[in-house]
Amino acid sequence: MLSRQKQGNDTSFWDQRRGKIHTRKGGWIIGEAVYNCGYSMLDDLVGQASFFQVLLLNVVGRLVERCLAEWFEALFICLSWPDARIWCNQIGSLAGTMQSSPVAAVCAGSLASDSDLYGPGTLMKSANFIMSARSKYKQGMSVEEIVREQQRNPRAKPIIAGYARPVTKGDERVFAMRQLAESLGFDVGEHLELAMKIEDFTFEQFEETINLGGYVTAFLCDQKFSPEEIYRLCAMTVNSGVHACYAEAADQAPESFFPLHCEDIDYQGKPPRLVPEPERSAR
Amino acid sequence: MSTNKQQVRKRDMTFASRTQTRIWQEIPSEENPYLAGQCRCHGYDLLELAGKRSFAEVLFLLFQGELPTPEQARMLETLLIVLINPGPRHPATRAVMNAAVSKTRTQHLLPIGLSVLGGDHLGGGEVLAAMRFLTANLKRLPAEVARECLATPRPTEGDFHPAPGFGSRFGGIDPMPRQLAALLTASSGSGEVMAWGMAFVEVLTPHGLGWLGPGVAAAAFCDLGFPYRAGAGLYQLICAPGMLAHGLELANKPITAMPFLDEEHYVIAPEARK
Repeated sequence: MLSRQKQGNDTSFWDQRRGKIHTRKGGWIIGEAVYNCGYSMLDDLVGQASFFQVLLLNVVGRLVERCLAEWFEALFICLSWPDARIWCNQIGSLAGTMQSSPVAAVCAGSLASDSDLYGPGTLMKSANFIMSARSKYKQGMSVEEIVREQQRNPRAKPIIAGYARPVTKGDERVFAMRQLAESLGFDVGEHLELAMKIEDFTFEQFEETINLGGYVTAFLCDQKFSPEEIYRLCAMTVNSGVHACYAEAADQAPESFFPLHCEDIDYQGKPPRLVPEPERSAR
Repeated sequence: MSTNKQQVRKRDMTFASRTQTRIWQEIPSEENPYLAGQCRCHGYDLLELAGKRSFAEVLFLLFQGELPTPEQARMLETLLIVLINPGPRHPATRAVMNAAVSKTRTQHLLPIGLSVLGGDHLGGGEVLAAMRFLTANLKRLPAEVARECLATPRPTEGDFHPAPGFGSRFGGIDPMPRQLAALLTASSGSGEVMAWGMAFVEVLTPHGLGWLGPGVAAAAFCDLGFPYRAGAGLYQLICAPGMLAHGLELANKPITAMPFLDEEHYVIAPEARK
């Protein structure tokens, strides 16, 4: 006999939740405290923990060492370039020139960074790649075999999440972050060690290096974060660069940011034509 | 005086026990109370509306609670067409195109464009302000209001909007909104607000000022009876298809399909350098 659930329309799962919110994170008990994963926000965290420690606590539910929070802060700085050519930042500039609100601008720019090409949108793939690569490497697969698996054909450049970068070859931010990690006392773990071996190979064969996303995911996998946690922690990494571009454009005359003539758009569509008369209905 | 946490007390407020709406009724299916077996929009069965009415008519019904007259439906239909695309040079569309070419998840493209299109300059914010301006001044003589607006100081650089929805664009009178306003004025659903706007623009024109897109939208929304709090969102909604289409056109193209300025054209001020 089929169970009730398989018969359909067993709503008990939702009935238990209807009209209630269950949380393991915490919340505000008015007049008592704001609880967060076992801490009182105002008694234990304000003035004692850094913003990035609390961000990590909120996302992953554990209070990390201050050195890891410092590493995260540096990562956010690495993604805070005030360059209005960077795609997400330019959205901040365009929002500024339209006198949109700063919140809308920063949200729109951050949303744009949820991309398959750069920003936090790439991190799940990158983390999954290095975790899978480590597992294969431990089973005896060589670095070359791991890389070759990512080629569409033997002559093609491999497409590996976490390696290569739009616009430039090489990523100066990886060097800066590796130096910082060393000064903060972090060891190089198994994921990062393999990630750098892969870089040695890709650079030698294809002149492509690891990018910041690749470094970040390998480092954070060594720190025992899951791909989902890495994606969540890095969700708003670009916000301060977007903010810079928004602020500059918003402070100038509206619609003065990077204006375009009609002819600056290269129209490649159909030539002008008449709209046909609608066909008469048979009714 | 600051308060400590012991002094923080919950206010004596009564919250509704259930969320209320006059717009939409969902009749539960007989098998499952979480699923709707029938939906009604302001009392009309949704499937019946789909069979008998146009999208513009149901849109009107959704926001206003009654179906439009044929004249109102035609005017809204016209508005839905003429505002369908802000164009590839509009900053909100450019934001969407930028995101698309840089491989932002396609489900984010429209929210990005709508966020930028919410601005107070040529965006939803200006539509809202223009609806307030038109409603507040409708009983006054357009020429008198125009003279007052023209007395406000012009900005030293950039465009001048003496009133929300009206002004210059790139230093001139934007011809497209002027044509759209003329088309809508000729529509049988057009009313006193659009006519007031036309008279207002007549006084502005010799000063190099005219209709702006948000002004035309605002006047039409007012004539159609939409409340001004609906103006910003309706404008975003109507402009959405064009922004999305331009984004999708670039979504499967390489990142090189749009310009990326070289160092010669990206000028960093000396004071910004180390």
